[in-house]
Amino acid sequence: MFTTGSKFYLGISTLAAIVSVVFLITNDQVALGCVALLGLMVSAGIIAGASLASRDGGETENATTSAAADAAPTSSIWPLALTLGLVVLIVGIVTEPLVFVIGIGVILAALAEWLVQSWSERASADGKFNALARKRILNPLEFPILATAITGVIAISFSRIMLAVSKDGSAILFIVISTLILVAISLFSLKPSIRTTTVAAIATIGALGLVSAGITTFGIGEREELVIAAEEGHYSHQECGEEKSKYYDKHVERTVSSKSGVIATVILKDGELTAKVLGIGEGQKQITVPRANPTSILFQNLDDTDHRLTAYLGKEPVAEGVTEDILTCTQMIGKGGKQVLTIKINKPTFAEGPYTLTVPGIEGTSIEMIVP
Amino acid sequence: MMSKAVEEIKEPTVKKRNPRRVVAGLAGLSGALFLASCAKNAPQDTWQPKGENAQKIDDLQKPVFAIAGVVGVIVLVAVAVVIFRFKDRGQPIPHQTHGKPVFEITMTVIPALILAGVGVFTARTVFDLAKTDDTEMIINVTGQQWWWEYDYPVQDGISAPIISSGQLVIPVGTKVLLRETSRDVIHSYWIPALNGKRDAVPGRVHTLRLEADEPGIYAGQCTEFCGLSHANMRMEAVALSKEDFAKWVDAQLAAYQSPTEGLAKEGEAVFIAQCSRCHQVNGLENANGDPIISAPEENVLAGAAPNLTKFMSRNTFAGATWDLLNKTCRDNVWNATSEEFGAKYLAGVSAECLNVADLRDWLRNAPAKKPMYADPTKLADTGGLTRGMPNLNLTEDDIDKLMAYLLTLK
Repeated sequence: MFTTGSKFYLGISTLAAIVSVVFLITNDQVALGCVALLGLMVSAGIIAGASLASRDGGETENATTSAAADAAPTSSIWPLALTLGLVVLIVGIVTEPLVFVIGIGVILAALAEWLVQSWSERASADGKFNALARKRILNPLEFPILATAITGVIAISFSRIMLAVSKDGSAILFIVISTLILVAISLFSLKPSIRTTTVAAIATIGALGLVSAGITTFGIGEREELVIAAEEGHYSHQECGEEKSKYYDKHVERTVSSKSGVIATVILKDGELTAKVLGIGEGQKQITVPRANPTSILFQNLDDTDHRLTAYLGKEPVAEGVTEDILTCTQMIGKGGKQVLTIKINKPTFAEGPYTLTVPGIEGTSIEMIVP
Repeated sequence: MMSKAVEEIKEPTVKKRNPRRVVAGLAGLSGALFLASCAKNAPQDTWQPKGENAQKIDDLQKPVFAIAGVVGVIVLVAVAVVIFRFKDRGQPIPHQTHGKPVFEITMTVIPALILAGVGVFTARTVFDLAKTDDTEMIINVTGQQWWWEYDYPVQDGISAPIISSGQLVIPVGTKVLLRETSRDVIHSYWIPALNGKRDAVPGRVHTLRLEADEPGIYAGQCTEFCGLSHANMRMEAVALSKEDFAKWVDAQLAAYQSPTEGLAKEGEAVFIAQCSRCHQVNGLENANGDPIISAPEENVLAGAAPNLTKFMSRNTFAGATWDLLNKTCRDNVWNATSEEFGAKYLAGVSAECLNVADLRDWLRNAPAKKPMYADPTKLADTGGLTRGMPNLNLTEDDIDKLMAYLLTLK
């Protein structure tokens, strides 16, 4: 009555049901585990039903009339992969959209492999031709997807290693690894007769070594200076003063991608700050900024020395009875440099104004921002 | 045997239609559709330009439409001739020829020349409409679900910033440059009688020129689908003579007058308790004499709610979807002559002219009147912030007081 395949999946389904019950009894936080186990029970049950309905792809009506159907179907890992995909999909529904998408990807891949394998095994009575037919259909899909996945894993592993070792160590390691790869490839090219299995084995060992090192360094974590920088916010904390900041001004943005989206261009020239306002013209000392809406201003430094544009956006309470100025600024940019400053002011001018744009280090010149 | 079987098959009876009746029916339908397009009261009619920019579009679209119409008629007549003249009547298939170079080149060159001609005039109009160097006034226009905010920066004739919503007030014969942006999703600003449409995109500033020839009200509509109440995101441009516009500016900059007694005074207290969280009224103060600053960014996803300082100087509310004036007074303003229009508009909304029914409904339960995402049980995705005005569950007494207070805001 039951086919071999259906017994296997019914066994998994029953086992998942039993483990679900045990899991429910022995654990307090059961939601996610139960979803996964019950998902496994249901999806294995579905595969068991499919296996039963198709009689494991065994005896069919055509079995006696088609030579192509003489050979018994081979074992297949894809129904199991499909079950796994269904479980991931169900878990993804209650956890993260990314997990859900991965589940869909696994299901689609498993279905494609399973369908083509089943078809190719009955394509003809010639096993070699059938294997070739399968390859011709699936290899154009399998190779790029596998290559992308492997490249991704290697890149992530490599990045974990680089972030874990010291700054100088990472440079040395980069040189060493790339030199090794270059030498290996050069040797392979000098020996065209080398067996492909040998090349594949060396590449596999290298990749496995890299991934193992990546996993290990992921466990160790990033090097200390990066941890401290993240904790202290070196790359996000703006220092809007006159002096060049050690971190904020380290890598100055030199390109502006959206000049047409700005409400005004603020120009520093000969120690004087003026605004060129869309629709009004140059030489303005006042600009109007919509309330509670991110607004971009383009700062252009035409002075000989490096300067930044700083916006004063009111005050914010930091403790009982204590307030602090809200400041935001561009990086320190050189002569001819441009940078966009995006501001958002939630209160009208009469509440907390005047809001101003100034250049630290240059006194007596500013632009007033009016928020209606 | 075979022929007998064939004879036994009866031809299905096909009810033949009288071609004349079909043609008459189609002609009748076309005529009805054509006449339906001739609405008398069509304030958003794109064929009635009332300003320089709209006129430029009209000057382009009419000849293009005429050319397209002529080409369309020629093609349709040719198709009809082919259909009827060469109908399959069992005649032998005529001699087939492949390739008529002269005919094919002609049929390629003629459309190309037509398109090139149209293209030249279209490009010239597009560049004309994009000019900003002759601007005489700028107004910032900010779209959000589902209303438009207008703020007037300080410039010639405007000594302090003005903020308004729903109705854009402009002086006639003045080249006004709108600087459009959005606080949430993409909207599109369109007053057909004054210019074409222009998208308002978050994070960007797009410009649109308007110029009205005569005093009056010009209706418009958001033309980029922007969510649940897109159809209720309307706008009106009000053109006043330059003298009347100066009066409007003075009125907008006049200091806030707090009601001193009666229902309006009680309404002010209701407003402070219920409405001032989102709606700003410049000059409104709390018991300590401190200005009350609204915080719409803490309650509304877009981070803004209409400033109501001069609410009753406008003729509309709720994204210009409803009139603040009752029908009699509204018609009186809309149908006023050019000479009378300014005075009638500047009179604002009086107690006698107030559209009590719609404003009461709005205050009673705004989301029931205009579809908005304001159900407090369904705001998980926005962190509790509404899109539009929520139901404040005001009592009828509170609504009476609020109505009395709102009438003082002009």
